[in-house]
Amino acid sequence: MERGFTLWFTGLSGAGKTTLAEIVERTLKQRGRRVELLDGDVVRTHLSKGLGFSREDRDINILRIGFVSRLLARNGVIAIASAISPYRKTRDQVRAMCDDFVEVYVDTPLEECRRRDVKGLYRRALTGQVSAFTGVSDPYEPPLAAEITISTIGQSPERSAAAIISWLERRGYLDAETHTPAYSVAPAYAMPERGASESGQNGHSTDDASADAGAAYSPDEEETVSARLEALGYL
Amino acid sequence: MQWFTRRQGSPGGSGAAQRVVVIGLDGVPHSFATRMIREGRMPNLARIFQAGTLRPLTSTWPFVSSVAWSSFMTGCNPGKHNIYGFVDRRLNTYNVFLPNSETMRAEPIWSTLSRAGKRVGVMNVPVTYPPREVNGLMVSCFLSPSLEKATYPRELAGRLQRMGYKIDADAAIARRSKTEFMQELLDVLDHRAQAMLTLMDEEPWDFFMSHIMETDRLHHFYWEYMEAGDPVWAPAFYAFYQRLDAILGQVWERIGPDTTLIMLSDHGFCTIRKEVYLNHYLREHGWLQLQPQDGRPPTLADIAPSSRAYSLDPGRIFINLEGREPRGSVRRGAEYERVCEKLAAEMLDLRDPDDGAPMVERVYRREEIYHGDSARNAPDLVVAPRIGYALKGALHQDHLTHKGDVLIGEHTHDDALLYISGHDLVTTTLTMQDVAPAVFSLMGVPEPAGLDGAMAITA
Repeated sequence: MERGFTLWFTGLSGAGKTTLAEIVERTLKQRGRRVELLDGDVVRTHLSKGLGFSREDRDINILRIGFVSRLLARNGVIAIASAISPYRKTRDQVRAMCDDFVEVYVDTPLEECRRRDVKGLYRRALTGQVSAFTGVSDPYEPPLAAEITISTIGQSPERSAAAIISWLERRGYLDAETHTPAYSVAPAYAMPERGASESGQNGHSTDDASADAGAAYSPDEEETVSARLEALGYL
Repeated sequence: MQWFTRRQGSPGGSGAAQRVVVIGLDGVPHSFATRMIREGRMPNLARIFQAGTLRPLTSTWPFVSSVAWSSFMTGCNPGKHNIYGFVDRRLNTYNVFLPNSETMRAEPIWSTLSRAGKRVGVMNVPVTYPPREVNGLMVSCFLSPSLEKATYPRELAGRLQRMGYKIDADAAIARRSKTEFMQELLDVLDHRAQAMLTLMDEEPWDFFMSHIMETDRLHHFYWEYMEAGDPVWAPAFYAFYQRLDAILGQVWERIGPDTTLIMLSDHGFCTIRKEVYLNHYLREHGWLQLQPQDGRPPTLADIAPSSRAYSLDPGRIFINLEGREPRGSVRRGAEYERVCEKLAAEMLDLRDPDDGAPMVERVYRREEIYHGDSARNAPDLVVAPRIGYALKGALHQDHLTHKGDVLIGEHTHDDALLYISGHDLVTTTLTMQDVAPAVFSLMGVPEPAGLDGAMAITA
């Protein structure tokens, strides 16, 4: 049986979790893997129907998603969960219940999420029409040590998803696909065009020094390289 | 700005688009290289220099290899390429991470060349891990956790392993035995040279770059011995350079009329006077308060809201700005300006506790030295030390300064070198970002928009 695991996307509303999760889901299915996407909005219409947005209800929702993810993963399915999951302690509880847990922090700044306001919820929250909204009236506690940190500013969703897939391959969660250089056609990655506007999809700007940086090293690898830098007096 | 013209009858004198070889010589000072020539210790290098032009080169702020080589490979300042040091902190958090190629926000030379259909070979250049796909081959630098993960294509790793290639000399050896480490350096250098020359001979390329990091390692652990004329280590130091000279001679043999050789370093070197722990100063003088949890050593994550500033290696200071830092308390506007001014003044007043010598040359505001879309990630202040003072970001040192006996060489901002074969250099103020435009020009590839270096070849 193939190795199942839980891939947990967390981040503010409008950060890009669902977009990335769906691209990753499609990619994995194309590779013949069994995948299930547990999107927070969808789950609330069925599995967590009736739950609100109090701290307690949020926790119950997340723990339910975690429980289902665990069941799927232990049967060889890749369980992709996409939910704001704002509280660190609750995410850590899910981590503890799953055997193989990969946290993906979609690190889009609040200002950008508000600017996008893809569902119009920020505007409604700021005008008081919606209460208990993460990033406005309720807190978001970012991960301290997510396996993967992705910024969606300055790069396409496809590139961000590719970075996630690449991380999973490097760490043995997925079998690596054979790469054939195809430079006569197009590069495998797409650098943003220089001089594009700051707000453009392919803009060269980023607000985040760590975009993709979390994907480059596992904790052990980071320790190895850090020790090397320390021995050289660079840390 | 034009910086060189083409000489007649020399390598690289052809009118057609050139092939280019770049050799990175990490931390080799211009002044030291010229002394080696004068003293007759490096005859191959002397021959190479006679066939082109050598100039001093200025490093980046800060002047560490990750920042400098990123400016070289992108032709941009850190405000565009987004690499500010070997460690950085995630925006809106106090979490530190290791910047790498995925952090970089400007395109390296070899990516542009690959898109243009040029074939490239790139070995060991700092900040090339993880290895990017290129039209050719890539061997990442010492920021790779292992050789297995350091190459594109992946199969190249096995080939290098069979050649005895190592990513980097193990600096931990230097802390227990200088003798063993000198042997390690020579061993790593030899195997790197072997791999470099083999790939140059056996792989097709239009652009080939190989980076020698062992010079920087040698300088960090032996520079003071060399300067002091130590009877054991000074000769060993020069012997290392003689080995390097032989290697450069072998590279030069491969430079034909259709190929231009560029050699450059990223900073100079000097004997270290003291390590200076800026966070110790900040804690002692009320700028930084830490609230460690559970009795463990403090980290940046333990910063208290009352803090107004913290420092990252080397010499970078971040203001604990409200709205940007998670527990930021310094308000934007007038308070931010006051804090920057006051702190900059205090840094300029830093004195060596042993002899009262000033330790800081200058303090830069971010807007003075960085511009671009990634300038928002820049430190608020960059402290430029006086020569010999190494500014460190350690959080829990008990003293302001320390002079150890293991790391005895330190970088300098000036005194790097730039050499190009077959051309004259017509300007004297040159920086790391000025090389990329020259490479594009030599290779007949249109220069991407937005480069900060502005170099051009006359017809």
